[in-house]
Amino acid sequence: MAFIQVEELKKSYGSLEVLKNVNFTVEKGDVIAIIGSSGSGKSTLLRCLIELETINGGTVKIGDDYLIKDGQYPTPAELKRVTSKMGMVFQNFNLFPHKTVGENLILPTMLVKKTDKDTAMQNCRLLLKKVGLEDKIDVYPKYLSGGQQQRVAIARALMQNPEILLFDEPTSALDPQLTGEVLGVMRNLAAERMTMLVVTHEMSFARDVATKVLFMHGGEIVEAGTPEQIFNNPQNEKTKQFLAAAVR
Amino acid sequence: MDFTYIMQVTKALMEGFGATLWLFVLVLVLSIPIGFLMTLILRCKIAPLRWLVNVYVYVLRGTPLLLQLMVVYFGINLAFSDYFHIKRETAAALAFVLNYSAYFAEIFRGGLLAIDKGQYEACKVLGMSKLQTNIHVIIPQMFRVAMPSVTNEAITLVKDTALLYAVSVPEILHYAKATVVRDSDMTAFVVAGVIYLIMNTVFTLLFTKIEKKMAY
Ligand SMILES: Nc1ncnc2c1ncn2[C@@H]1O[C@H](COP(=O)(O)OP(=O)(O)OP(=O)(O)O)[C@@H](O)[C@H]1O
Ligand SMILES: [Mg+2]
Repeated sequence: MAFIQVEELKKSYGSLEVLKNVNFTVEKGDVIAIIGSSGSGKSTLLRCLIELETINGGTVKIGDDYLIKDGQYPTPAELKRVTSKMGMVFQNFNLFPHKTVGENLILPTMLVKKTDKDTAMQNCRLLLKKVGLEDKIDVYPKYLSGGQQQRVAIARALMQNPEILLFDEPTSALDPQLTGEVLGVMRNLAAERMTMLVVTHEMSFARDVATKVLFMHGGEIVEAGTPEQIFNNPQNEKTKQFLAAAVR
Repeated sequence: MDFTYIMQVTKALMEGFGATLWLFVLVLVLSIPIGFLMTLILRCKIAPLRWLVNVYVYVLRGTPLLLQLMVVYFGINLAFSDYFHIKRETAAALAFVLNYSAYFAEIFRGGLLAIDKGQYEACKVLGMSKLQTNIHVIIPQMFRVAMPSVTNEAITLVKDTALLYAVSVPEILHYAKATVVRDSDMTAFVVAGVIYLIMNTVFTLLFTKIEKKMAY
């Protein structure tokens, strides 16, 4: 049984069908790269998984729990329990500007998991070290570069000890010379077998790090496979066109 | 212009300074929390409450403070003359607090609108409740964003205290005018102007200091 199972997922905004019939599975430790042209529904798919958008139909099973079953959500408490297995990293970081790096990390765990401050601080230092920013603990986000802010955001997501991390274009807001440090942190996470779903325009990351690539078009996954299959031997016309334009 | 006369005038005007300062502090201390409360109501689920606050803000921002002051003082005393008499100072404080809380509500609403929706989303994916999100993330940023407007409002308030004159509460302007008429000498008006300027300078410095403290 797969770790994450998505079946016939549907999402509409009014009469606009944004996700038509999305099916895929994820194994524990998979790094899923989600690629596709603008407006194909990549962000919406991630946002549906973590309850930033309401799903209109289908089934999503995570581990042994249903996020939604045949279009029926569980109780709010159960829903919260299921989504709490996931963390998310946004394109524009969304750090709390009025909190220092350290406070950004410890505030949510202390509030949500009722972790005591000492434990939270210990964990905070550990994770900042992991993303290479232990010396920035008392600094406010605005004094950090975009790449550093994104690494803090990843550390903050890790503080909640998620089983799955969702990334929505984590390097798209960065200057090209800063994408490397963020992708490096993500590579390390992949090496530790963190389950990750990554919407990205970084084709080299998708090719080198992903275990599986999903190509989306018009609200559907039109092709899925290993990076070799997708990049070296795409079957679908749309995939071929997209890759030809993306790789250039 | 002779110095002893200026000192004498200043001393006379300082008799009104107390009333001015009293109104200023009272209005700030009361209308900031009330304005904030109204902003919270504007975000609550009960539509009639929101509607009420919207009308309140609309009316109080759309009519002159001087009119509101007169309505509160003369109006209440006319309508309830058989039952009680509202003191000038009380009426003035009431009118000012009503008016300024509407402005502060509007300022705080603007502060909330300025906060990026990504902040709410980050809180949600981190598992924070709506209440936790508001208390720890949204409201502190709202105050920070609103602070320059609050400073502006405080400066306007210093000048608006001169409206006390209209309901004959003896404040700085009251004494200034009495002195000018008595001595046929404009000096008292100049001194009054200088006192307002000094007050505003002091408050501006104070508020800027608070703003700096809140900066991140
Ligand atoms: N809140 C919304 N209301 C209405 N339509 C929306 C909303 N959010 C997204 N859409 C529409 O849904 C479609 C998919 O959007 P989505 O953001 O998921 O695309 P994407 O694949 O992430 O694109 P990009 O690469 O530009 O980020 C688009 O047509 C978009 O206009
Ligand atoms: Mg997107």
